[in-house]
Amino acid sequence: MSAVASLVIYGAVIGGIWALVAAGFSLIFGVMRVLNFGHGAIFISAAYATVAFAAFGMHIAFVGSLLIGLAVGLIIYFLIKPVRKKEITAVIVTLAFALLVQHLLLLIFGNRGLTVQPVVDGLFEVFGAKFAAIRVVTLIAAILVLLALETVMRTSFGKQITAVSEDSDAAMLLGIDVERVYLLVILISSLLAAIAGYFYVQVFSVNPELGLKVLIYAFAIVILGGLGSIKGSVISSFILGYIIAATILFLSPRWSELVMLLAIVLTLIIRPYGIFGVKE
Amino acid sequence: MRKIVLFAILWLSISCVNAGEIVVGVLGPMDVPEGYSQLKAVQLAAEEINAAGGILGNKIKVVYGDDKLKPDVGASEFRRLAEIEKAKVIIGGFSSGVMLATMEVMAETKTLFLADSSTPQASAKVAENYEKYKYWFRLQNNATTFAYDTEDMIRYLISKGYEVKKVYIIKDEHIWTEDVTKALYPILEKLGVQVVKDVKIPRGYSEFEKLIIEAEKLDADLIIPILALTGTDDVLVKQWATLKPKILLAGHTITAIDADFYERTNGAANYLIFSAHGGVVVTSPPTQMCKHFIEAYRSKYGKYPEAHQAYGAYDALYLYKTAVENAFKAGEKDPFDPEVVVKYLEMFNESNPIELTRKIAFTSNHDLAWGDKYVKNWVSQWQDGKQYILYPEKMATAELKLPPWFKEEKKTPGFELLLAMIAIVAVALRLRG
Repeated sequence: MSAVASLVIYGAVIGGIWALVAAGFSLIFGVMRVLNFGHGAIFISAAYATVAFAAFGMHIAFVGSLLIGLAVGLIIYFLIKPVRKKEITAVIVTLAFALLVQHLLLLIFGNRGLTVQPVVDGLFEVFGAKFAAIRVVTLIAAILVLLALETVMRTSFGKQITAVSEDSDAAMLLGIDVERVYLLVILISSLLAAIAGYFYVQVFSVNPELGLKVLIYAFAIVILGGLGSIKGSVISSFILGYIIAATILFLSPRWSELVMLLAIVLTLIIRPYGIFGVKE
Repeated sequence: MRKIVLFAILWLSISCVNAGEIVVGVLGPMDVPEGYSQLKAVQLAAEEINAAGGILGNKIKVVYGDDKLKPDVGASEFRRLAEIEKAKVIIGGFSSGVMLATMEVMAETKTLFLADSSTPQASAKVAENYEKYKYWFRLQNNATTFAYDTEDMIRYLISKGYEVKKVYIIKDEHIWTEDVTKALYPILEKLGVQVVKDVKIPRGYSEFEKLIIEAEKLDADLIIPILALTGTDDVLVKQWATLKPKILLAGHTITAIDADFYERTNGAANYLIFSAHGGVVVTSPPTQMCKHFIEAYRSKYGKYPEAHQAYGAYDALYLYKTAVENAFKAGEKDPFDPEVVVKYLEMFNESNPIELTRKIAFTSNHDLAWGDKYVKNWVSQWQDGKQYILYPEKMATAELKLPPWFKEEKKTPGFELLLAMIAIVAVALRLRG
């Protein structure tokens, strides 16, 4: 029983964090048709901001991480604005920006991992399985944020997002301020990544290389879920979370990433357009 | 008159030898502290030596190569330093895999290599084919000795009343940790200690929580980390401090030696027991030169040496200088000739160690001599933000401190928190309509 409980919680926490990152990545692609390779930079900047502001209290750190995440997202918005129609150029610009952020963080914070005391200390035990309480808090936060995102998507603004994602020219003819939608979509995605970064550094730690790792994970998840499908990204995040947790629990930690990547490859062989992607 | 003639001969000899500049190469992964701290230490030593007149009047020029922790890059960078930069001696290395690859280029180019890295396979090469590999000397302890350090650590804990019957090992998936455990298993058997699990983890791994909980379930008394390349020992320490298991964390966490480790882990490193690799913690320098080096490094770079490899690299340049000068004093025609320098380095053996930042002596296989009289990885502990040596007794600066949670009853909220979680999500779903 405790093994099942372990698997449920661990898989959900890993999945929840990746879902926040991947949902934002997917949202930007779905609406703007841009592969934002700078998405990991938002996550990692927020994680470092948490470390930097932690001395003033975790509430201040939370606000600080969100503001930094939004600021980085805003920079990305202005960087990709002129090249939005050129897919490859946008990828190169955002990737170059991500590398720049990585180097800046390396210069400021050094390359060793940094961490903070979690906002909630102590343990959580259910069905004989124990976890750090911060994992449970992270899971709740991830679920609430994803529900909030889903709620936003149901509002009139959410409908504008859907309209722009389906046909931006038609949306413009209907009077939707497409540019405003693009900006808000990047800011929403940045908030999701920043929240993920804020919680990630409390469970684990942050180092400059993490940005690229996050990007690779988010990209793999989004491909697996189907490019542009937020639902697909969220579900595939949890699938991968459970694959990683099950591999660590029942096989060996050394195989966790290999098994996860193998699962992605196999899924894409069977469904090349991802779990929730649409065959073009 | 006789004195004047002797002085003139000495002066002329120095002038003949003096070629103006000696190139010293530093090889390492320059993006990580284990590499760049070596370069910084060598640059510091070179500045000091140059200010005092250089080596036999020759100024030292430091050049470096970045091996990027890749054997093929390491090998080609070694060749560049030896053949293009004309380095007389190369200092550094870090990863065992890179070391084994660069040793082949070293043998081919016959370049003196004062090296880091810990794999016993490197010194085994010297033993197997001395003529080919004799240019290699190690200024870091052989990984086999890490097993002896662990034995010291366990014996020390037992002597302090902490029972160690079962251990859980977490180690890098890398050559060097295999060497350590190969030597460690028979020692543990001799001590009557059972290994309940031996887990290999890949680089960047961060899910230690499950491993710590598993160790608790398996009734382990000690979690022994053997970590250097994973780069996530801070996460292990943080998750251990968060979970607060009644298990000590004691072993080889390489970054725990860093002076800023406590700060980086936000205090989670408190009560962590670690081996002070390289025989130094900044709070207890074992020699006067070490004290000078630590302060000079801090004064020049604004921080303490970022990795213990810095001590070996600093020693390496002074060692090279001493060997060359000794060769010259002994009347060698070319005291810079690697064949000659090897001979003079070998003179620093167990019966004739040289005191630098540590007491350096080489074994017949050019390994660093291990032991209380030479370089040993002292059993140390982080206590309230400071590093203390616990063992050996003559070096000890503090007594063992067990984490306070060892005495506390654990409070683990269970269903209350689960219910609260379900309630929050339910309310959110309800609000969402």
